[in-house]
Amino acid sequence: MPLESHGFSPRPTRQRAAAAPIDDPSLQTMTKLNLFAAVAGIAAAVAAAEVAAQAAPAGDPVAGRQKTQMCAGCHGIEGWRTAYPEVYRVPKIVGQHPAYLVKAMQAYKTGERSHPSMRAIAGSLSDKDMADLAAFYGQAVTTVAAK
Amino acid sequence: MKTRLPLLVLVAFAFPLAAQAADLAAGQAKAKEVCAACHGLDGNSATPDYPRLAGQYADYLAHTLKDYKSGRRKNPIMAGFAGALSKADIENLAAYYSAQPSALRHGTPNLAAAPGR
Repeated sequence: MPLESHGFSPRPTRQRAAAAPIDDPSLQTMTKLNLFAAVAGIAAAVAAAEVAAQAAPAGDPVAGRQKTQMCAGCHGIEGWRTAYPEVYRVPKIVGQHPAYLVKAMQAYKTGERSHPSMRAIAGSLSDKDMADLAAFYGQAVTTVAAK
Repeated sequence: MKTRLPLLVLVAFAFPLAAQAADLAAGQAKAKEVCAACHGLDGNSATPDYPRLAGQYADYLAHTLKDYKSGRRKNPIMAGFAGALSKADIENLAAYYSAQPSALRHGTPNLAAAPGR
C-alpha cells in the first residue's frame, strides 16, 4: 500500500518489459532505469520500515518517572525478596542498560521470561511505556553515580 | 571410639560443603573464561544489550544462571554458557560479580535532582 502510493509499482514495468522486448537501446536503458528505481524504492521503503520498527519509540526519562508506580513496590526497596518458592532479591534496575531493560520487559510480556508479577505488569506496558521506563531507570544512574 | 566415627564422617562431609560457599577467586577465573567477553571482567558490560552484572544481588544472579541452565529462561546465547556451569561455578560467579563496583542501584531516584535538568 505505501509502495504504490509512493509511485513504486514494479510489476507493470516488469510485465511490459517481458511482453514486448524493446529494440531501441535508449528505451532499454530507460526501462532498466525504471526497474532500478522501483527496486531501489522498495529497498528504501523496507529499510525505512525496519529502522522505524527498531528505533521504535524513543524513551523519555521524565515520562518514565511518572510510570514507576508498578515498579517501585519491589524494585524500589533495597533487598526486597521474591515470594516463595523461589526466593531471591529482586534485581537492581537503576543504572542498568536501557536496551537490556526493554528486552527484559518484552521477554516478560511475550512469556519468554516467566515471573508471574513481571508477566502481568509488563503485559500492561506499551512499547512507549517500556522505552520511557528504561530511559528513566537507565539514565537515573548518572545522577546517583555522580554523587 | 564408636561414637567418634560418625562425628568424623560428618566433619569430613561438612568441609567441602563449607568450602563451596563462595570462592571469589574461582569466580573471577570463571568469569574471565566464560562471561567477560560480553559482560566485562568487572561486570560493567559495554554493550547495551547485555546487562550489567557488577553490583547485582548475588542470589538474583545465581537464580538467572540456574534458570538459563534448566531452560526455564530461554536465551540461545546464555543457555550454552550456563549449561556448562556447575553449581559451584554459579555460586562463585554470582558472588564475584555481585562484589564488583558498579553503578547499579536499587530504589527510585529523584530525576528532578539530575544535573542539567
